[in-house]
Amino acid sequence: MTGLLLALTVLAPFGMLCACAWPGPRRAMPGLLWLAPLPGLAAALLGAGHPPIVLDEARRFTAALDAPGALLLGGAALLWCLAGAYARSYVAGPGAGRFAAWWLLTLTGSLGVFIAGDLGSFYLAFAVVSLAAFGLVGHDGTPGARHAAAVYLLLAVAGEACLLLGFALLAAEIPGDSLAIRDLVAALPGAPGRDLIIGLLLAGFGLKAGLVPLHVWLPLAHPAAAMPASAVLSGAIIKAGIIGLVRFLPGDGAVPGWGAILAGIGLLTAFWGVAVGVTQRNPKAVLAYSSISQMGVAGAALGLGLAAGEAGAAAAVAFYALCHMLAKGALFLGVGVAMTSGRRRPWPVLGPALVLALGFGGLPGTGGALGKAAVKGLFGHGALGLLAGLSAAGSTLLMLHFCRRLVAEAAADPTAPPPAGLLLPWLALALAAVAVPWWLFGPSGLGDPLDSLDPAGLWPVLLGGGLALALRRVTLPPVPEGDLLVPVSRFLGAGAPWAGRMAGLEAVLRSWPAAGAALLGLVLALGLALLVSAPG
Amino acid sequence: MSGTGLLLPLAIGLPLLGALLAPLLPGRFAARFASLVCLLGNLAAVAIELAVYRGGTPLLQPIGGLLLRADGLAAAMLGTSAMVTGAVGLYARADHGDAPAFWSLLLGVWAAMALVLLGTDLFSLAIALELLTFASVPLVCLDGRPGTVAAALRSLLFGLLGSALILLGCALLLGRTGTLDIQALAGLTRAEPATLLACALMTAGLLAKTALFPLHLWLPAAHGGASAAVSALLSALVVKAAFVVLLRLWFGAAPALLPAVAPLLAGLGGAAILVGSLVAVRQARLKLLVAYSTVAQLGYLFLAFPLVVATTPALGAFAWTGAVLQAVSHAFAKAAMAMAAGLLAAAHGHDRLDALGGAARAMPVTVIAFGLAGLSLMGMPPSGGFTAKWLLLRAAVESGQWWWSLVIVTGGLLTGGYVYRVLAAVQAPAEGGPAARPPGARGQEAIAMTLALISVVLGLVPLGSFGLVQIGRLGSAP
Repeated sequence: MTGLLLALTVLAPFGMLCACAWPGPRRAMPGLLWLAPLPGLAAALLGAGHPPIVLDEARRFTAALDAPGALLLGGAALLWCLAGAYARSYVAGPGAGRFAAWWLLTLTGSLGVFIAGDLGSFYLAFAVVSLAAFGLVGHDGTPGARHAAAVYLLLAVAGEACLLLGFALLAAEIPGDSLAIRDLVAALPGAPGRDLIIGLLLAGFGLKAGLVPLHVWLPLAHPAAAMPASAVLSGAIIKAGIIGLVRFLPGDGAVPGWGAILAGIGLLTAFWGVAVGVTQRNPKAVLAYSSISQMGVAGAALGLGLAAGEAGAAAAVAFYALCHMLAKGALFLGVGVAMTSGRRRPWPVLGPALVLALGFGGLPGTGGALGKAAVKGLFGHGALGLLAGLSAAGSTLLMLHFCRRLVAEAAADPTAPPPAGLLLPWLALALAAVAVPWWLFGPSGLGDPLDSLDPAGLWPVLLGGGLALALRRVTLPPVPEGDLLVPVSRFLGAGAPWAGRMAGLEAVLRSWPAAGAALLGLVLALGLALLVSAPG
Repeated sequence: MSGTGLLLPLAIGLPLLGALLAPLLPGRFAARFASLVCLLGNLAAVAIELAVYRGGTPLLQPIGGLLLRADGLAAAMLGTSAMVTGAVGLYARADHGDAPAFWSLLLGVWAAMALVLLGTDLFSLAIALELLTFASVPLVCLDGRPGTVAAALRSLLFGLLGSALILLGCALLLGRTGTLDIQALAGLTRAEPATLLACALMTAGLLAKTALFPLHLWLPAAHGGASAAVSALLSALVVKAAFVVLLRLWFGAAPALLPAVAPLLAGLGGAAILVGSLVAVRQARLKLLVAYSTVAQLGYLFLAFPLVVATTPALGAFAWTGAVLQAVSHAFAKAAMAMAAGLLAAAHGHDRLDALGGAARAMPVTVIAFGLAGLSLMGMPPSGGFTAKWLLLRAAVESGQWWWSLVIVTGGLLTGGYVYRVLAAVQAPAEGGPAARPPGARGQEAIAMTLALISVVLGLVPLGSFGLVQIGRLGSAP
């Protein structure tokens, strides 16, 4: 039964995509997007708690669902479902069929990475989600969206290349024919090219998760996409990077050095996201930088878990990612609601948004606080714990900044009511962002959720709130979206003449004299090579 | 045995007979007749593939003094040739429907291709390559425009230079060893000057015919100038004929000498990948971009030489399968791409990349076909291109020749660059008159799409079935 659900997790959205080839289903598809992730949701609910299930299809595709995978699969499916319901009202017009097609393809890969059990399926799902998201980013067709999509695709393909090399090395250096991720990772610490493999995987997955300095595509792409697409991009799709890190880095303390490096990168990312995010004026850009910061925290927690050999680190990080997934997805939907409702009616958006926003700082009682509680043990009580607290304070500041920018986005008509088709999915997802963490905290083996109500956890919120109050009159000079991208692309632009020179050289080679000389030269070179090194 | 053996002369004879008879028929009938021949030829090719795969041994059939041999490589390429030629034939009915010369030449190319694949002595292979050149060059300039005639002449001249070198090599080898039979030569080639010179001459000539960088001067103009159907045929099949002969020469006739030249061949292949892709990224015209993509993708084939020869038998088998699969999946993907490019060019009346805006809306099927073919060329899963490059990558990494893996991956990135340029161009807002799908292009779109899908689906075929291409592999340890 669970095997069937796992297969349907990817086959249902893919089948709906195939149905888009006919005009009738294509017209109806934007209204049906919310159905596509339901098998995945069911698989996560029924498969959670069971031992891993392995399903063989002609010995090529293996699907497995472990506890971290089930958490992320369930959260992602819920987000995709509600965002799909939201898209039903949000995306209309002639491009809706195309949008639905990209949506379903991305969905297939996005859920696929959480259940892929072997190297081939994982790479396939990862490539599908990476490449198909390009269509979601660029769907609006505005110059900004096209630029964002181009940058996104360039970096996504570069990330794929890193992963491909890493996977090839992994498959090559590990003895035996098995391509099951479990077997490969178990043998990874003893492999000769271990450090190169882990470095390549870290680059590939870090790029997807938005770890500094490979985060530059994220603040461009997430704001450029349509609202429901931004929600799944920032909520579900970047988790492909997190699940990759969770799955492929050996979790038994075998590579402590890499754990420390990941923790360092993660902490840097956590603060970087806050520092650049508070200068942004577009609320979606603020949210994108907040995602970067949050993935930094997740990466740091995972890195510390790896360094210490904590067996429960994967589950804790997955839980943290689940909390972020739902809350961040909800907030993106909220921005869309805010833009369609009038200034006099801020509360249906601002009320839940404030709760979710403060959750990022760890306000006790929220889903965010439970997420923080899950990874708290990994940071400990020393300097690292203090840094984690400071990053939570920074998140509070950033999210309060977001709430201010959100209010500024109100629709022109001050009394316009938000459309029900947008309002309901937003409220449902906001509710889920609080309720689901409360529900799953205990069953995930993270302890008693009531322990998180400790008032000592309040100081980052108070500190961040105080900072926000102190800085409310200060307007920071905006850093361009994509920060590091600007100097880097200037640097790369300097390489264009070099490519031009290469093309010029090629044109010379195409002239008769050069080609004739090359032909003769080749005869000589081949003859010489044979003479020098032939046996006998 | 004799029953299946008779399939081999049929695979050559059917298209040859068709090529001879087609000009005698009036235009309309020539096209129908050629379609019938395509159908029969496809059946013969499938039967050969099945017979080789089931039997696990090569098929042999002597006719007169000529011995034909279908090993796994020949069977796989024969099937590919038949399918691509058939698709090109269907596609071309709208463009070349009433030109008997086209049908005759098309079938002639196919017959020559079959002889290249099935021949067992270097002389008949050289003759087959000649036939191929003489059948394919006129196809380039069927429209008679001065530009295409110049391009055809250029490829003819360079092809003749190549032929001269090949025949010179054959003569030297024959004088030295007294035979040109490939398997007999394997025991006779020694490292002495005349043999070495013969091998060097033949190799250079074959490289000229396959347009390996830096001997590609004739390819971009010819492939970029020809009609869509013709450039699909040329890029997908014709350039690979000389590569197959190179495989026969080095793995069959002179395996002992191969280690000396393998790095050089692969080095040229690597240069082709990098330079060809970079130049493709910078092209302003779509059809030239596709042509340079062919220059680059041919490079991957040559990585097989050091990867097969300088490794363990298991890894060598990986690399061999990877190279043959690259040849096959590139054939389907590139044929689809050339057809899609031709459709775009026909709809717009030009193929300048900066003015193709709006095409994605007007011709979505064409654009999707181009994109799918592009994914296969990039080596994105699940596609035949991915499996091919993955096998080459594994062989490179595991045999310690990691530098080739960098070339493979960089080539994939650059390929992504030029595919993206096209996809971005067709998604740009329409400027001027929006292109409409030309009337009657629906069927052509479907053919391009089918070929692109085949190149993708090849990646989903279980790896075990590629054992076909190992059957009867020359030069492999028994």
